[in-house]
Amino acid sequence: MLKLGNRLDVYEPGQLKPKFGALLIMVSVVLTILALRLWYLQVISGDDFRQRSENNSLRLRKIKPLRGLIMDRNRKMLTENRPSFNILFIPDRTRDIKKAIEKIKWFYSLNSLEFTSNLPIPDKLKPFVPVIIERNTTMTKIAVVEVHSLELPGVVTEITPVRQYLYGEATAQIIGFTGEVTRRDIEQNHVGRLSPGDNIGKFGLEKSLDAYLRGESGAEQVEINAAGKIVRSLGRTPPKSGENVVLNIDLELQKTAWEAVGNRRGAVVVLNPQNGEVLTLISSPSFDPNIFNGELSSNEWEKLSQDPQHPMENRAVAGQYPPGSTYKPIVAAAALETGAITPDKSINCNGTFEFGDRIFHDWKKEGHGNISLHRAIVESCDVYFYNLGKMLGVDTIAEYARGFGLGAPTGIDLPREKSGLVPTRQWKKDRFGAPWHAGETIPLAIGQGYNLVTPLQLANAYAALANGGTLYRPRIVKQIESTDGRILKSFPPKIAGLLPVRSPNIAIINKALWGVVNEKGGTGYLLKRAQQDVAGKTGTAQVVGLPQNAKERSMKVMTAETNDHALFVCFAPSENPEIVIAVILENAGHGGSTAAPVARKLVDVYFSQKNNLQARKPPQGAPAAHEAQKQ
Amino acid sequence: MMKLDRGLLLNFDWTLFILVMGINLIGLLNIYSACLSISAPGQTPYYIKQIQWIIIGFAGMNIAFFIDYRFLVRHAYIIHGIAILLLFIVLIAGSASRGSQRWIALGSFTFQPSELVKLTIILALSKYFDAHQLSRGYRFKELLIPFLITIIPVLLILKQPDLGTGVILLIIFSAIVLFVGMDYKSALITAAGCLIMIPVGWHFLKGYQKERIFTFFSPENDPLGSGYHIIQSMIAVGSGGFWGKGYLKGTQTQLRFLPEQQTDFVFSVFAEEWGFIGGIVLLLLFFCLIVWGLKIMLHSKDYSGALLSFGITMLILWEVFINIGMVLGILPVVGIPLPFLSYGGSSLLVLMTTSGILMSVSVRRFLLQT
Repeated sequence: MLKLGNRLDVYEPGQLKPKFGALLIMVSVVLTILALRLWYLQVISGDDFRQRSENNSLRLRKIKPLRGLIMDRNRKMLTENRPSFNILFIPDRTRDIKKAIEKIKWFYSLNSLEFTSNLPIPDKLKPFVPVIIERNTTMTKIAVVEVHSLELPGVVTEITPVRQYLYGEATAQIIGFTGEVTRRDIEQNHVGRLSPGDNIGKFGLEKSLDAYLRGESGAEQVEINAAGKIVRSLGRTPPKSGENVVLNIDLELQKTAWEAVGNRRGAVVVLNPQNGEVLTLISSPSFDPNIFNGELSSNEWEKLSQDPQHPMENRAVAGQYPPGSTYKPIVAAAALETGAITPDKSINCNGTFEFGDRIFHDWKKEGHGNISLHRAIVESCDVYFYNLGKMLGVDTIAEYARGFGLGAPTGIDLPREKSGLVPTRQWKKDRFGAPWHAGETIPLAIGQGYNLVTPLQLANAYAALANGGTLYRPRIVKQIESTDGRILKSFPPKIAGLLPVRSPNIAIINKALWGVVNEKGGTGYLLKRAQQDVAGKTGTAQVVGLPQNAKERSMKVMTAETNDHALFVCFAPSENPEIVIAVILENAGHGGSTAAPVARKLVDVYFSQKNNLQARKPPQGAPAAHEAQKQ
Repeated sequence: MMKLDRGLLLNFDWTLFILVMGINLIGLLNIYSACLSISAPGQTPYYIKQIQWIIIGFAGMNIAFFIDYRFLVRHAYIIHGIAILLLFIVLIAGSASRGSQRWIALGSFTFQPSELVKLTIILALSKYFDAHQLSRGYRFKELLIPFLITIIPVLLILKQPDLGTGVILLIIFSAIVLFVGMDYKSALITAAGCLIMIPVGWHFLKGYQKERIFTFFSPENDPLGSGYHIIQSMIAVGSGGFWGKGYLKGTQTQLRFLPEQQTDFVFSVFAEEWGFIGGIVLLLLFFCLIVWGLKIMLHSKDYSGALLSFGITMLILWEVFINIGMVLGILPVVGIPLPFLSYGGSSLLVLMTTSGILMSVSVRRFLLQT
């Protein structure tokens, strides 16, 4: 402690009197300054300020940002922001919204217009929080409201961007849709600030990429007169448009697939086997995402979400189907790799396979005779694979199926992906508490039984065969770009794993897949084309436990729900393939005759597009990028 | 002991008590109005929270009243040390809000140690000058310790950053030093030094703080940013006129033009609804409170009591002046609450506790033997 000499107790009560006097003066002066300023503001300029507060009020008006655009790999627009007209009520000095609506109805009737909106009117209005009276209305109605604006205090019109999905149902499951934020969204939101009236992604990529697409609201300081109309703008922070998203999707293929599937139920996936790019992803039936722009009544919503056909479900990633014969190459790979068979080992097929006291039938009643692995795949001989199943056992098959990426999500950048099912002994014990019966392995080997795959998994597994053994993670989004075309984030190919199969064995299987389409007697021979060289595999998946006997089956009445699922997976060209296509049509019958034609159309469109492109050879890049910026 | 307790009640300073509670009540009514339009459903309304804090503050006031203020002064350095420690904790582990780190969370309540420092700094400076009374003015080396007592928390608070509280602490320090008297030569050198320090200090201000000062001189240049507060606040106050728009009827307030209308800009709500009449009444109440505090200082039986009363009075005076001056557009926008009126638990608790100390000094002039 600092020494300050002797402590002097000099304080005497009352000695502060002179200081008290000075302080009194200081306090008076300081508070008088405030009082004088208050006098100046409230009494001298009070009328001016009152005028400013009553007649010309300053408001902070929110300006909605333009949502980022979504385009295909060739920069064709998939979405658009169209202007839409709304009529709003702003509870300000007038809070009587019912009276305002009555007046609007009256003015409409004078112009023989009808007030059609059935938007809910909140009982409690929050000051200055706009309530939409009529959404997405017509220019005529806007004109009527504007003409009578003086008689309609609190009623204003606005133009806001509305999301349009140019290819509606064809892209609905990928792109999804946007909607107005709910209270829950605002509370749970963690990306940026949200306020009532904002639009956010609610489904599909619109939801998962919302942080990029949304943009930032701007604000404008405006002076508003007594009727709530903007008098002038005092300052403006422009909104920031959302970022653009470029997909790997090829719009032409996507449209072709959508049209080819038509009104049948099913899914189509097209991948680039060399890098996992998703060129097409279709799920049918679908829904029109544009209905979410307007006010969707709870009835309509109910109808859509309760539809037994599940139009909101993306079958390509969430539909789980027995793979049927498309599973055979995987079983063959397991057999070759484990040495259970050699390529030239033949098995005699007489049309049936006996296991214990059960008899399993081949699809071909009279059998395929003495048949090699190659021809067994080409002709899709069931008995041959029953034998392989018996040799391999359930867990070995499962090990290889997992090696092909089955039984687990592929990791595609779309929400709600399902993992399918690769059954094992352990799985059955956990699931049913029962041991595995060896007999259950037999149908497994031809893709029946407990096996479940998603169309995307199937396409991805074949993509790995096609490229010689690399399993990629499928990617639907190519890159995120700023509005001026700079690449902000790109999503390069990601290797998810390598097939547990050596290349000579992959080559044997691929040769057989080529044979399916190109050899006489192949189940996909219908698809044969001189110009393109396609390899593939058909599949017909039984839906329910139908009798195995072909004769008995044919006597059953095939209803819409019990008919087989038709599958077809192929890749082209067979050397250095560029596309892999998986088609599944629910309850459509035989894979070779119903699913394969869809794939054939896609192959045709893909190669004709490619040939056109090569013929023209346009300069790539810059001009296209500029086109994309325009919003 | 019994005698002392009876004495405490017999000589209780009812004037001071009624002034404090009266201003508190005005503050509460005003917060109810200010937050009428901004309370979100499901959230505890601000006025309920304010009532909770008034109850806690009332307890603080009682404790401070019953404790002999000389006891507080005796342990002032330890108390101040604890407050500084809390400031350190805030910097390391405090919770941030709107870009500055000021709060320590205690369950659902949060506490702002920088408010506490306003009190402890007065205690610590009172202890020092009471222990080192001089018949002449203080020189630099004798002011070194008071300077350290002040500058350490000030630097910690500026780091948060909280310019307003830092400024208030420096004002309290200057007021007390001027009050105890400074050596002529030292005073001249300090004045010269301060003039030189202005450009240096400017360099250390944050961008937004500089911006606020620019905006103060020309608010129209930045209608969306910090100028918005000033314009809206002046419109609110001015439009109140002589009689005011009436309780709960302030359009500027109820239409939510003012951000922060329940904290730093709470006076604009009051002035809009109660007008010039209301504003003058409130200023008069503050005048009475401050003059009453100075009267307590004058009659204090010992120097530490006088210093305490003086410091507390100055805290209230300058917070009132800077806050209302800012709302009325004659001072730049710095974050200083309006005593008893701004929503904010820490500020209210500390102010009520300091009022308790003032009552304690007031009552003990009858009880202490000199």
